[in-house]
Amino acid sequence: MSCPGFGELNIPSSRAFWDDCEEDEFENMKPAEKLQLKFDVESAGDVAPVASDLLVVIEGPHVTHFATTVLAKDSKRLCSIPAKTSSLHWNASSKQLLAILEDDLSSSGEVTELLLPYAKLAKNVVTLTLKPKVEFKSEEIQFYSDHVAIVRGVGVNQKDITELEAPNFIAGVAAGIASWRDQEELPVSSFVIYTDKLPLDSTAAQPVLKLLKSVGVTCNSSYIPPRKESSYLYM
Amino acid sequence: MLFLKEKRSTLDLTEYTVILPSICVGNAAQLACDLLIASKKLRRIGSLTHPALIPVYGPSAYQHEPNEKVSSCELYEGAEDKLLVVQFRAPWIARHTGSFQQELVELLKGARRVVILSGSFGFERRVIEESPWAYRASDNFKEIHAAQLGNAELIKWKEHTGEAIYGGGNALQLYKAFDEKNVAVMLLFRYLLEGDNSTDASLIVKELNELCEDFLQLRSGSGGDSSFKLTVPKSWNLLFGNDITELLF
Repeated sequence: MSCPGFGELNIPSSRAFWDDCEEDEFENMKPAEKLQLKFDVESAGDVAPVASDLLVVIEGPHVTHFATTVLAKDSKRLCSIPAKTSSLHWNASSKQLLAILEDDLSSSGEVTELLLPYAKLAKNVVTLTLKPKVEFKSEEIQFYSDHVAIVRGVGVNQKDITELEAPNFIAGVAAGIASWRDQEELPVSSFVIYTDKLPLDSTAAQPVLKLLKSVGVTCNSSYIPPRKESSYLYM
Repeated sequence: MLFLKEKRSTLDLTEYTVILPSICVGNAAQLACDLLIASKKLRRIGSLTHPALIPVYGPSAYQHEPNEKVSSCELYEGAEDKLLVVQFRAPWIARHTGSFQQELVELLKGARRVVILSGSFGFERRVIEESPWAYRASDNFKEIHAAQLGNAELIKWKEHTGEAIYGGGNALQLYKAFDEKNVAVMLLFRYLLEGDNSTDASLIVKELNELCEDFLQLRSGSGGDSSFKLTVPKSWNLLFGNDITELLF
């Protein structure tokens, strides 16, 4: 059996653009339509940004089910965020605002700008980015081979949290919000968890829940992932 | 959105030279800017955000500014040398590039001169004996640097006249945008290939130094290239990812 493409040298036509665009095409591209938050019917009259005690931004691939189950309990969904199934939730009793963001780098700059009014009004902000473990870079990578999760902070000064080291970094809306708060010298705690299971299962969720609790985020103590159809691999 | 540190409200670039990379083949121009910033220990003075830029946040990329956090577009200044280096850390979003480019030109158009660094695919160099360097300069830039650009012993670059620089990203469009605003602008690029482009980056900086030695001053003495002093930033660790696990074998 042949292996198409094996041994071929695939050179990207351009490194300049994240989205699919050739270098000679972008000049003729139409200006992008502005993205907007889509407010739910119940909160349609209440579109002004809410002032929260704590804004929690959680971002990663397939994060929606985990975050809505463990973090959005007793919260009211305010609006959908234009990046896949992303959404914004408000818990009036704890004054906690929650942004759940599915991984979508191509709209992350624009979505960051949409969420900045909320980040401006928040007394404190916690961002958490979930990434696959293979993206973690370290000169001692063998040391982490058995770890379920690698937890790192960016400028958090927390005793039990190790600081993220270059060349690692985070990218996306959480990075945008954290970067803005940091430049404005407003309180922000930014974390990244490199996990070996995405979407999270009940074991991989434990370090995430432990971290969220340690920084004062109201959440459940465990997570049960949605039931999947059997694989049909075996009788 | 422009963020400036220390409560500065405007960016005064009078008499400044601005160096900015295009996001090109092998990221060579960005690597060259990294070398410039680390070698000259430039000070971060601000950053830019725009929907065209994928937000980035993380630990400092340079040893000399350990408390800074990286972001997608950073501004570094050498006040003594009147030098401003722009660094991009993420590719752009094509549908927003036009408006970002306009914003960038508006911000930097007050500079004395602008140098755009770039690269082009090595296989686009049709005559192998020709110089691996090419440039394109506006008339007012050529006037300022007539002595250097006219000295064939010093500058061996070929003048580019084509309509595209393949692999050069948005370099040519950015050059044209500055030229339209009558900013003295030069686009300098090297023909190179994807791979370990750290050598290409140092060669770009060395070549730029031939033109701009008055302010770059990267030579430690009067000797030849051997005395060239460049500092590799710590963010270049693991440029090609982690070591391969022993369990694989």
